[in-house]
Amino acid sequence: MKIGFTLLLLILASAVMAQTTISGRVSDHKGNAVPGVNIFLKGTYDGTTSGADGGFIFTTTEAGSHTMNVQAVGFKSQEWVLELQGQPITANITLAESINQLNAVTISAGAMEAGDEKKSVVLKPLDIVTTSGAMGNITAALLTLPGTSTVGNDGRLFVRGGDASETAIFIDGLQVGNAFGSTTSNVPTRNRFSANLFKGSFFSTGGYSAEYGQALSSALALNTLDLPLRNQGDVSVMSLGGGYTQTLVKDNRALTASANYYNLAPYQSLVSQNFDWEQAPSNWDAEISLRQKWGNPVTGKAGMIKAYFHTEGSNMVIWQKILGNAGRGDRVKLDNHYNYGNVSFRHSGNKGWLFYGGVALSNNRDAIQLNADGIRQVNGIFHSKGVAVKDFSPQFSLKNGLEYYAKTYSEALPDQNLKRQFTDNQFNHFVEATYYFSNRFIMVGGLRSGYSTLAKETWFTPRFSVAYKLDNQGQFSFAAGKFKQLAEEKLRVRQTNLKNSAATHYILNYFIVNNKRTFRAEAFFKDYDNLVTYQGAANDPKNIALNGAGYARGVDFFLRDKQTIKDTDFWITYSFVDSKRRFAAYETKVQPSFAPKHNGSVVVKHFVTAMKSLLGTSWTWNSGHTYNDPNLPGEMQRKTTAYSDLSLSISYLPKPNVILHVACSNVLGRQNVFGYQYASQPDESGSYAGRAVGQGAERFLFAGLFITLSKDKKANQLNNL
Amino acid sequence: MKKLTQTTILFLLTILTASSQDSPYQKAMKKEIAKLIETDSLPLLQQSANAFGRIAELNPAEWQPVYYQGLAYTFQGMDKSLSLDKKDEVLAKADELAQKAEALSKNNSEIVALQGFVLMAKLNADAVSRGQSLSGRVLQTFGKARAMDPKNPRAMALTAQMEYGMAKFFGSGTEKACGYAKESLAIFASQDEPALKAALLPTWGKSLAEQMAKSCQ
Repeated sequence: MKIGFTLLLLILASAVMAQTTISGRVSDHKGNAVPGVNIFLKGTYDGTTSGADGGFIFTTTEAGSHTMNVQAVGFKSQEWVLELQGQPITANITLAESINQLNAVTISAGAMEAGDEKKSVVLKPLDIVTTSGAMGNITAALLTLPGTSTVGNDGRLFVRGGDASETAIFIDGLQVGNAFGSTTSNVPTRNRFSANLFKGSFFSTGGYSAEYGQALSSALALNTLDLPLRNQGDVSVMSLGGGYTQTLVKDNRALTASANYYNLAPYQSLVSQNFDWEQAPSNWDAEISLRQKWGNPVTGKAGMIKAYFHTEGSNMVIWQKILGNAGRGDRVKLDNHYNYGNVSFRHSGNKGWLFYGGVALSNNRDAIQLNADGIRQVNGIFHSKGVAVKDFSPQFSLKNGLEYYAKTYSEALPDQNLKRQFTDNQFNHFVEATYYFSNRFIMVGGLRSGYSTLAKETWFTPRFSVAYKLDNQGQFSFAAGKFKQLAEEKLRVRQTNLKNSAATHYILNYFIVNNKRTFRAEAFFKDYDNLVTYQGAANDPKNIALNGAGYARGVDFFLRDKQTIKDTDFWITYSFVDSKRRFAAYETKVQPSFAPKHNGSVVVKHFVTAMKSLLGTSWTWNSGHTYNDPNLPGEMQRKTTAYSDLSLSISYLPKPNVILHVACSNVLGRQNVFGYQYASQPDESGSYAGRAVGQGAERFLFAGLFITLSKDKKANQLNNL
Repeated sequence: MKKLTQTTILFLLTILTASSQDSPYQKAMKKEIAKLIETDSLPLLQQSANAFGRIAELNPAEWQPVYYQGLAYTFQGMDKSLSLDKKDEVLAKADELAQKAEALSKNNSEIVALQGFVLMAKLNADAVSRGQSLSGRVLQTFGKARAMDPKNPRAMALTAQMEYGMAKFFGSGTEKACGYAKESLAIFASQDEPALKAALLPTWGKSLAEQMAKSCQ
């Protein structure tokens, strides 16, 4: 018994003797105390947390050589080797910050992101669809952002003095051909893809990444939803038609199928139209999307595959007046059939590797009947892409990608047995390096190279951007780069050896998000070279060449505020563009009709809890479009009156799963004019007769009822508005 | 004297057996769990997160230390005094830990409830801009946790809190929320808390359920 006690005493004593005290202070590289740091001996429970002054102290009974680990959120971990001998040890530790993608600076030059969680976003995905006047059209919502111009008789995206073909559109990183519905001249079109497909978007008005090419002005990357939340059925009944969507989700996979039909005839029979319709536009579409997820992102390997198929058909018959001639004019009948499908994947592997890519196919067929003449136009784009990204360290990552495009186009006059076509194979490689000097300072450099078998041209386009974050959360970024684009297919098919047009962008941006307020200011200069020129009319160009050049420069501002007025979110945009270019059939540098000098918009959304309603209004304005008057000397001498459109909308939620949405565009009934058309020959008095190109109708009224059927009674289709 | 010796030996034996029942891992866990449940001070929550981090480092196959470390960060993310950036930073860490815990223990209702809790904290951090996109996900995650274990009182209490907030926002009735709060309290009352504590299983959340039930009165 005695021995037992003695032993116990000995053990206790030795334990006391071998105790080592470790103390010190943790600070950052500026010498400021870092509290909350985890300091511990590896392989033991011994450790502590630094206090408010960065100080720490703990004891251990371990002896010999041990590793001390120092860890804190936002800092790089450190290891110290200590010799524990019972003597107190003092360790003063300086931590280096780690790159935190969440708070680190981002490149905001030229970029406008719509997303859910990131800080640099300008819009939320839902904003795209709840913007009054957008009528669920993604493009129309983007037109309330800085750097864009509304061209009311076209409907596509016009960015900073560029024409609509200068914007390339991608879904899950893969190119979409003919993203806008086919239409006849001066009848505005819409984006073919429903806004509720997407969880976010990245809209660049210039200076974008080397990952994108063949677009002189702008890239719009739309990202589809990952896994939907639940099984549900969505019914929509609208003044223009209706549709049904079924979503099935199980574990890590999901299927969504939808079908819609729209017909403007009933609406047009009630509301008088300025256009001479024989058959109002009608459209059907069907789509299926599939998703499969695997792995757990924390343990390493994880990924997702998405497949999406969309098919649609539309037709319309319209009479277009010929100036100087009596009668209804030309009868234009348009039948369109469009298919798009893509399969994309994303897989993050071990050791900082990320792989993504996929294949996409777009196919567009237009059958046009112009009076007695039939015309067939068929476009096809096949795109495949594979990208590998390696994070060598939290600071440095390198992206490498390969792409292959097959672009085909044919146009035929079947009655006359005439046909012409081309096929172009394009190979692209891009490499992009991202380096964070610190959480405040980032630099991205990239190079995109390409080769076209048809143009027999190889090109290299370098891109560069930097961003620096200031103390007040604001940040400056600068981007510059070269961009190339081959001519539109209707010109290439006539002259297949046309090489690239070029643009060089310089963009300086200031961006700040502060407590529910976002402010963005940007100045840009864009230099165009080798623009396509020709002689004669646009529908029969002669001597097609790359003799054009020009520029666009300007500034734009964006302010968004969700704070000042209770339950109200508004944004104000102003864009100034000074652009002149020699292009198309113009012999001198002119201000293009699609580049109004001053552009602005105001969007307001106000939630009224008592009415269970979201009220919205948007106002879009520009200072007028230039046009050419053949009765005057020179080119593009005149300008239309200012454009202005005030829209109102209300979304009423009587129950959480039912939404009634009513919207009206141009409530003031303003007679907007987008330009003037002139007779091709002068009349007896020697002057060319002219006619204003205006709106299809003064106003457009939309009403829709959206019902969601699911077990979760709160689910709704707010995304559809 | 003999009796005294016997008593001493017996006494020593009981201490020895008692402590040998609890491994150093269990001892450390019990101590830290008790501390975590009691505190709502930011520095103490960080100490707690660090302590669980140390335990997790030594016991990489156990899900509980990672779970509690994630919970300690989630509690921090709910603290109103933090800036949005700071909240997002700790909640990103919490999210990472909840995912890590799931990799260690699949189909675990407690871990799924924690994932929902993290999402709810993210939503609360900026409800105006995140409400629409996250509220559905939060409820879905809690629903998943309840489906995995219909007797998970934390999933119930958290659902009650979320439903309550949404009912207030939409101006609709709170019956659903209050039903969950009641159910949660009933489960808490029927549970053998010491047994759960001995197994290092979660027992927190009773005060939340009580608070929800009180708001319903």
